[in-house]
Amino acid sequence: MKKSETRTRYLVNFLAVVLLFAVSLVMSAASGDTLKLKIVPSIWQCCYLIIMAASLNLVLGFLGQLSLGHCGFMAVGAYTAALISLAFQRSGFYEEKSGPAFLLVLLLSTLAAGVLAALMGLLVGIPALRLKGDYLAIITLGFGMIIVNVINNLPFCGQQGLGQGSASSALYATGLGFSNDEKVQYLWVAVLTVILCMTAMLLFVRSKYGRSIRAIRDNEIAAATSGINVSYYKVLTFTISAFFAGITGALYACCNAALATTSFAFTNGSILNSVFIVVMVVVGGMGSMTGSVIAAVALFLLNYTIKNGAWVSALPAVLQNVFTYPMLVYSVALIIVILFRPRGIMGSREFALCDIPKWPGMVKAYFTSRFGKKEASRHA
Amino acid sequence: MKKKLLSLLLALSFVVSLTACGSSDTTGGTSDSASSDAVSDTSEGASSTAEEAEASAAEEGSDSGEFAGTITLGMIGPMTGSLAVYGTHVANGVNLAIEQINAAGGVIVGDETYELAVESKDDQGDSTECLNAMNALISDGIELVIGSATSGCTSSITSVANSEGVVLVTPSGTADALTTEMDYVFRTCFKDSFQGELAAQYAADEGYTKVGIVYCSADTYSAGLRDAFAAAAEELGLEVVAEESVATMTEVDYTNQFTKMVEAGAELVFIPFYYDVTGPYLVPQARSVGFDGILLGADGVDNTETTIPDGADLSVYNDFLFVNHYSTELATSDISTSFVESYEEAYGETPNNFDALGYDAVLVLKQAIESCGAFDADSVQAALADTSVVYEVSTGTFSFDDTGTPIKTGVLMGYSYTEGDDAVTKIAVTTLSLD
Repeated sequence: MKKSETRTRYLVNFLAVVLLFAVSLVMSAASGDTLKLKIVPSIWQCCYLIIMAASLNLVLGFLGQLSLGHCGFMAVGAYTAALISLAFQRSGFYEEKSGPAFLLVLLLSTLAAGVLAALMGLLVGIPALRLKGDYLAIITLGFGMIIVNVINNLPFCGQQGLGQGSASSALYATGLGFSNDEKVQYLWVAVLTVILCMTAMLLFVRSKYGRSIRAIRDNEIAAATSGINVSYYKVLTFTISAFFAGITGALYACCNAALATTSFAFTNGSILNSVFIVVMVVVGGMGSMTGSVIAAVALFLLNYTIKNGAWVSALPAVLQNVFTYPMLVYSVALIIVILFRPRGIMGSREFALCDIPKWPGMVKAYFTSRFGKKEASRHA
Repeated sequence: MKKKLLSLLLALSFVVSLTACGSSDTTGGTSDSASSDAVSDTSEGASSTAEEAEASAAEEGSDSGEFAGTITLGMIGPMTGSLAVYGTHVANGVNLAIEQINAAGGVIVGDETYELAVESKDDQGDSTECLNAMNALISDGIELVIGSATSGCTSSITSVANSEGVVLVTPSGTADALTTEMDYVFRTCFKDSFQGELAAQYAADEGYTKVGIVYCSADTYSAGLRDAFAAAAEELGLEVVAEESVATMTEVDYTNQFTKMVEAGAELVFIPFYYDVTGPYLVPQARSVGFDGILLGADGVDNTETTIPDGADLSVYNDFLFVNHYSTELATSDISTSFVESYEEAYGETPNNFDALGYDAVLVLKQAIESCGAFDADSVQAALADTSVVYEVSTGTFSFDDTGTPIKTGVLMGYSYTEGDDAVTKIAVTTLSLD
């Protein structure tokens, strides 16, 4: 990349950030019920889904290993954050949800959530990743189911401790579990967390570690022959991925007033389950961080507007019936992506503002390649 | 390309046909069609029942043109997903109540009558979705919300209801902690600890001295009931001879637990589980290891008759009893019997708990609106918070205690099978109340 081009890219990105900042200022000035009740909670949920999808992309897209228990790490993070903040609150370290003491607790519990989830990742990863084949998928699948039951049965954090129906009030007392007003007030926490996590993950995949894990994905034997310690890099990536999933859990605990392990269970019918996170990564493009961001936001918006949007009622009656079963809509969306864009929305490219002028050409090339083939087959 | 388009077309037609099957038979009034009715928005209305309501409205000569306006209630429940049975039945009850009220002339607020309508949202049994739905309803300006059907989801929205000042009436969230003080959260069902006490009371009244408990320590509902039952049993002088826990509420093997119950000599075992495991696993396994005493469940085992596998030995379901909110057989009051009749007429099946409790939630709100002469959240909250008011609804007559939970009675129901029948019958044994 030429130096001048790099400079242009920096300039464009800087302008975009300024623009985004201005938009958020205008938004906060125009505070209304819609902002508080719909937009801000949606941004919170987008934030944790983005980190979830991106962190799974490290394992699935860059390392090439299938993990089916990502929500398990999120559960570990959520309960860790909730319990640590509860401990601080009971010891009288902070009393109200403001001031430096509370922010410190927020930071500590978020970090601790990540660290404990990373430890769990290490425990799961070491045996699973030393083997070749799909063992990681099987073991993480089991992990996702086991961890929910373990949390449930731990006397200090399961249903009987935080839960017993009082999860709601307990979380509120801890300071995590923001009300709608506090979600607006602490929106910067969520946005900042996303920015920090995404930056860290992008730096990771662009570093020598990132090149190594991509080499492992592309050809494990060749990578090992060139002197890459395959199991070390696999376990490292998996642990990092689990760390960020743990951070996501802390955000989830902030966003929701109540913690219930069923939310992290494999059978959760909503979009927060381990399989759906895999879907996000596949739709966004395996090996594209920005693709994960786009897919997470897009699938969240699809899910949210199906249930709360106005456009569904404008559809013909036959389609409305389909939309009362959201899972059917997701499956059709997935089929469309797999049929027409098997590598996901972004493939393995990253989104860049400077590339936008090149888009029409790329779309044209896409269609000529499709229809060109068709013409050729017709002639043959 | 052509192949891909064709396969997409195939997938789409499959999807549409799947849902079309569900909705094509709206006149039948099965639970399937009722569910799609419930999710369709208010302007569409519930087709089959709406027609009947219109018909009856015409008979009574009242005209919908007289209404001064519309009061829209919000409703949240699991309409799809694994708990969809709960949500769709609550929706049936709510829709029926609204249609009857509108047909009978609407809600009288001051000098004017208002029409009732409902805006319904699906939470899929997930707490995040439930919170989203609640926020969306509030932002649509709705101040009176019925929901959600499960305790887990409801606990995620009680804090929003209180902080935003929106009245929330949960028809079937039984967890104790949902209504802790007189706030914006109310319910029309009794709470878990009360069920546990009723169960212990029944065991003591029947003269049992040795009781056992099989429960799931990991589940809020099950562990809460177990705590209440054990505490009440101790108070009543019952000896808890054995207590066993399973790991999950969807456990499929209970033989070890019941072997220990038999060894300890338990005459009655309390089983706070849901209907999805009692029918196929728990009850047959308990009998197979030689336990022949009473199996006593709570409201979660209602509907067990739907989960008994084909070809099962039905005699094992004798002496299988449960505490419940409501029984159509023990329904004596006028409102109760008329509810059962109109429900059967509208949906072609016998109503269950969720239907009745959803129906009651609307009646309670209507009475509160009429008594305070306004339908904003604060006035209705104040009206509901008056503990002296008596509500006469389909599940009985009650008034709220100082937390917003009804003080009411329960019923003891059970299953019985006589040789030669091809199904078990659900029987209502007696009405239960605390001394």
